[in-house]
Amino acid sequence: MVKMANKKTRGPDKTQANTSDIVVKKLDDATDIVRQPPVFTNDSKYICIASGRQIGIYSVESADKVHSLKEHTVDVIGLAIKDDNILLSCDASGETIEWNINNGTMIKKAPIVVAGIKEFHSFHYPGNGKFLVATPSMYTTNMSSLWIVDNYTRPRKLFADIKSTPQSIAFGCNQGNGSLVVVALQDHSVVVKDITNGVDKKHMTDQRKFTCVALHSEKLIMATGDISGRILIWHDFVHKSRPVKTVYHWHTLPVNSVCFSSEGEYIYSGGSEKVMVKWRLGMSRKQFLPRMGSSIKYIVNAPDNICVATSHSDNAIRFIDSTNKINRAIIGLVKHDPIRGFADTEPIKESVMPTGLVFDPRSRGIFFNAQAGFLQLYDPQKNSLIFNMDVANRNVLTDERNLVIGNAEVLRVAVSPTGEWLATLEVWSNMSAGYHDMNLKFWRYDAVQANYELNTDVTMPHQDRVTALSFQPGLLGTEMPCLVTIGRDLKFKIWRLVDDTDIYRQKESWSCDVAGDFRKLTPSALSFSEDGSLMAIAFQDTVTLWDPTSINLNTTLSHTLVQEPIELMEFGRDHCFRYLVCASKSALYAWDVISQGLVWKVGQLQSSVRCLVPDPKSCFMAAVLQNSEVFIFSPSSSKPVHAVPKMNSSEPIAALFVPRSNPLASGPEWLINSRLLIVDDQQEFFCVDDVSSAGFNQKLTTPISHMDSLPWTPFSAMRAEKQISAAKQLVPVIHQTSGIQGYKSVQSLLETSASALPPMSRICSLFMSDLMIKHGPKAVTAKVNSVDRTTTDLPFTNGHIDTKTEDFNEETTLQKLLTLDCQWLVETVK
Amino acid sequence: MASFKKTQIRSLPKIGQKVTADTLYWRKLNFPVTVKEFGPIDYIDVMPIEPYFIAVSSAAKVQIYNPITHQVHRHFTRFKEAAYGASIRSDGKLVIAGCDEGHVKLFDIGSKSLLRIFKGHKGPVHRCKFTTDNVHVVSFSDDKSVALWDLPSETEIIKFSEHSDYVRAGCVSNISSDLFLSGSFDHTVKLYDARSPTGSTISVDHGSPVESVLMYPSNSIFVSVGGTELRVWDMLAGGRLLARVSQHHKTITCLHLASDGKRLVTGGLDRHAKIYDVQSYQVVHTLDFPSPVLSLGITPDDFTVVAGMANGLISMQHRQTQAEARALNPKQSLKVQKKSQTAYRFRLNADFRSVNRTFNPATDVEVATKTDTNFVSRYDMFLRKFQYSKALDTVLTPYIRKKKPAITVGVMHELIRRNGLKSALAGRDDSSLSSILTFLARNINDPSHANIIIQVANTLLEIYESSSLTPQSEKLFLQLQEHVNREVEYVKHLMEIEGMLHILLASTTTQARRGSPNVVQGSPVKPMLPSAAAAANATMIYNVG
Repeated sequence: MVKMANKKTRGPDKTQANTSDIVVKKLDDATDIVRQPPVFTNDSKYICIASGRQIGIYSVESADKVHSLKEHTVDVIGLAIKDDNILLSCDASGETIEWNINNGTMIKKAPIVVAGIKEFHSFHYPGNGKFLVATPSMYTTNMSSLWIVDNYTRPRKLFADIKSTPQSIAFGCNQGNGSLVVVALQDHSVVVKDITNGVDKKHMTDQRKFTCVALHSEKLIMATGDISGRILIWHDFVHKSRPVKTVYHWHTLPVNSVCFSSEGEYIYSGGSEKVMVKWRLGMSRKQFLPRMGSSIKYIVNAPDNICVATSHSDNAIRFIDSTNKINRAIIGLVKHDPIRGFADTEPIKESVMPTGLVFDPRSRGIFFNAQAGFLQLYDPQKNSLIFNMDVANRNVLTDERNLVIGNAEVLRVAVSPTGEWLATLEVWSNMSAGYHDMNLKFWRYDAVQANYELNTDVTMPHQDRVTALSFQPGLLGTEMPCLVTIGRDLKFKIWRLVDDTDIYRQKESWSCDVAGDFRKLTPSALSFSEDGSLMAIAFQDTVTLWDPTSINLNTTLSHTLVQEPIELMEFGRDHCFRYLVCASKSALYAWDVISQGLVWKVGQLQSSVRCLVPDPKSCFMAAVLQNSEVFIFSPSSSKPVHAVPKMNSSEPIAALFVPRSNPLASGPEWLINSRLLIVDDQQEFFCVDDVSSAGFNQKLTTPISHMDSLPWTPFSAMRAEKQISAAKQLVPVIHQTSGIQGYKSVQSLLETSASALPPMSRICSLFMSDLMIKHGPKAVTAKVNSVDRTTTDLPFTNGHIDTKTEDFNEETTLQKLLTLDCQWLVETVK
Repeated sequence: MASFKKTQIRSLPKIGQKVTADTLYWRKLNFPVTVKEFGPIDYIDVMPIEPYFIAVSSAAKVQIYNPITHQVHRHFTRFKEAAYGASIRSDGKLVIAGCDEGHVKLFDIGSKSLLRIFKGHKGPVHRCKFTTDNVHVVSFSDDKSVALWDLPSETEIIKFSEHSDYVRAGCVSNISSDLFLSGSFDHTVKLYDARSPTGSTISVDHGSPVESVLMYPSNSIFVSVGGTELRVWDMLAGGRLLARVSQHHKTITCLHLASDGKRLVTGGLDRHAKIYDVQSYQVVHTLDFPSPVLSLGITPDDFTVVAGMANGLISMQHRQTQAEARALNPKQSLKVQKKSQTAYRFRLNADFRSVNRTFNPATDVEVATKTDTNFVSRYDMFLRKFQYSKALDTVLTPYIRKKKPAITVGVMHELIRRNGLKSALAGRDDSSLSSILTFLARNINDPSHANIIIQVANTLLEIYESSSLTPQSEKLFLQLQEHVNREVEYVKHLMEIEGMLHILLASTTTQARRGSPNVVQGSPVKPMLPSAAAAANATMIYNVG
């Protein structure tokens, strides 16, 4: 048994040499598109969305991405439209870039300079070369100071200690004298400044904190929302110290965003109720758009007043048309809202993305949590969302003002080794009601529908919370799949697919086959050996090894050196199949299941192991520590092959080795076939990868041209779709198996059992007539002729028709061949 | 996305006999008309053409019944002793019957006259059949022989004496006039070809005395019954055993095809008739009779099922006609009528639409279609509007409460989820409180709903514990308490029994272990999967091939 004191005290060995070409990349495309409010262009045809360091320009008509602008090196904090065609963006370091919206090129790059300020919070552009930027407040944390910067370099401080959210600053134009009015929110007050005339006002209401503010584009009307859900409309707030206010109160939860329509007749408001309310100013009438999927963060109105875009916390931007219906959406990877309503004793990792990352071998995608009760499948190769699946199929409930109402949440996911079966565990627990619900659902992938179908729904599979599920790997195609669950009711259960088919219907469903326990101890971790012949379940500090088919207890493994309860456990892969790696709070150690001895142990870890992930394509394993250190090691020895230093301050919550589609030509052994994906508690994706590999960020598609996003009109139809060239086109050869005469009837004759066949005399004539050719060769030639004629009629589209004639020619030769073959048959029948 | 998702109503499948298409089909048989004969009913044969007369042989006579009127159409009594196995020719004109003195007698149904007597058997003839060409007769006799007779000349053509015991079963092929099967008490079934006089072409061992044999219309498979087993043999493969089915617990006596050859019916001394699917040999339905079944007859249209029993009863059952069904269940038929009317209306619309279809819009023109309005139940409507009390009221109406408690429980579950149960239950008057309480008392011991009902009951107690109640409500609360107490008592009893069983099981397993210690050590012995073993035990079908 090799014992290593501490991994931190590693000497300079060969692993250090590799470190230089292994990098941790942040996956930008997976970041959210709703951190900043989107901006419509002046012609309302495009919408500009900041996501991390990138800016996407999307067509409003089709919700397709037109351009992806990547020049910023830090996160973008604000977007604005400068002119008809120019987009202005600013990042957290104060760098501003002007872009041409039509072709996506950079026009100008210049930094905003405010003396002594390195970081910026938000950015607004009122016009005339002036910028409004919010910077961190000097004395109070989480507060900002607002500056107006003229011509990039001349800053003037407007307010101190204002809220730092993008919705807490608004500007407008005083119609009377054309002066610029800026308003900003403090916790309990609104501060107003008329820049040109130098008027300063501070309005206070009661103890309700403000959340958002908006200004009417033409008149001097201000709308504010507060945490009680009340919207106040302020009239003439610049000059009067006690302005007239109108109260609009429908929301029960804080108002997240208010927005005036561009004509100023309506205001839109939204919050965590997931309802967008459309108020008519000066009237009590209001319209609702309920059940928008998730809570509204920002509402933005298009300049042409036809379309409203709402940013939602599920990382989607939805477009609402003038009939108050959602007609399009831009959907990014959904961030999982932390689960509320669980007991306080629950560990944090249970509340943020509790499913972790689960690899789907069928689509080569990754399953993880989406909104409450949803599951999403993300393709790391193409960097896109494949689908978002409603597992719970329940209405998403919103909180009441003083009451947390939980939703059904997907807690665990397991995918069968072939990818045919998906098992999901959804839990709904509401502490205030003192009641909880649990459903284990089995979904089968239907290749025809390209969809998962619910096969079995088990209510309360265990009496208490299920902590892990795993499918048995390594089964032959003929064996029925098998799932093992462990729960806090001290039991483990084995579920098998049961064939319940009878003569009336085909039916397969899952049912519990065996339930077992071990010395009334709580099972904490579960792992299958790679070939599925051995199942390991950890009960506190003891590891039990079971034969999954007969459910015989083979061995129990325990040692005086390892007394802490096991939290994570994984079998080694490949030639390290005999090692079982276990992680407890402060130690990492490995058992040899064949010699049944402890092989190595690393104690006194700096922080506990958060994830233990084996690489499916090699023998290596990654241990991700809570302080975001990553160690790659082979289960056979305690010496790490590679160590990734602390990435950032955030805490990792899940990790996964993602197999590559093309193996690396060179590089460290553990990176050749797969790369490591890590998610932190902000749900940002990081990738541990070789420098030389293309990475996830590579551009797979060329940017979509301006023309493609045009609507399909009669004029666009006139545009040439294909170009004619002299080069000969390759026509793929298609073997026609279905074209054989009588194939079907021969097949059915062979497939039907002898007992079920009617007397030969009855079926003979039918069978023979099936073998005969239905239409003579005459009809075929006629067809060819007609096609020839069309080609002569329409010479300008010859590209298409030419290939068709070739097809027909092929068919005729086939017919001729068949005629020759079946000649004897036809004659005998005659 | 913006649509309201319906409340999930969780209804567990009912345990018990599954209702399948076959049970519905065979359940439609009316109450039987019974006729009492003097002796056990030896054989029933059905005329293959309309009007499907039924020939019944019992004691010393053969009677031909009209299946519609249940009256005797003809009877033949010219037998000295018992008459056996009367069989009608395929054209329905002649009937043939064996008898105790070893003769085979041919009668004309129209004139009742005895046309021929075939003499030659030395023992009683129990079965006789016309061949498919209608001019020959095969007889199966207790003198261990099978004979083929010529009808016009009244002479024996060929005789096979291969059996070593009574031949009590036989049938002829419906395709070839030369093929016939015989089943004997010496456990064998033999297939003869009249063209090869040397002997039987196929001989198979059934394993017990053969009571009846049957050849499938395709002539590729034959079935034999005897003892408690039904065996299926492949004729083309020279008598390969295809399946053995044992569903009766006493001797199977008769065999018949039904439903146009798709179902097989066997009757036995255990007073049941079992109906099998001919593909899988699974029992799809069982008919019960008051006495051991000796013979069965089913008309080709499945309209009449006739069973002859050991105590001399003939039971004739008709399929329910549409008019009868209407007369029996006027309410149901009214519904059907209504449905058909609406269907007609929709059909009209459909026709109207198809007429308009002549106009073909261009593909890029979007045609506005009416969004189909989904049916939203009342409770969902109230839940959508967050009116929890009203939602609960709608599912506490007597009909839903009594007939569909799963809906009530489902809505209660949804209210618990939404944290709205308290507000839905609070502030109720006497009558609505009593409906909730009676519902709780009635369902609290239903294990599938118990956890939700208990939750509701607890909330209810919490709300109303401090308020003053009317005597009526108080009584209902006490009633609920009594229900709970009774359930607790019941569970206690069950746990006691479980404990006893555990002791028994523990003692048996320790004994087994002591008996074979090598099982514990020798792990390579892989025991069979419990599920597979159970499946093997549950079905009695063994596919031998």
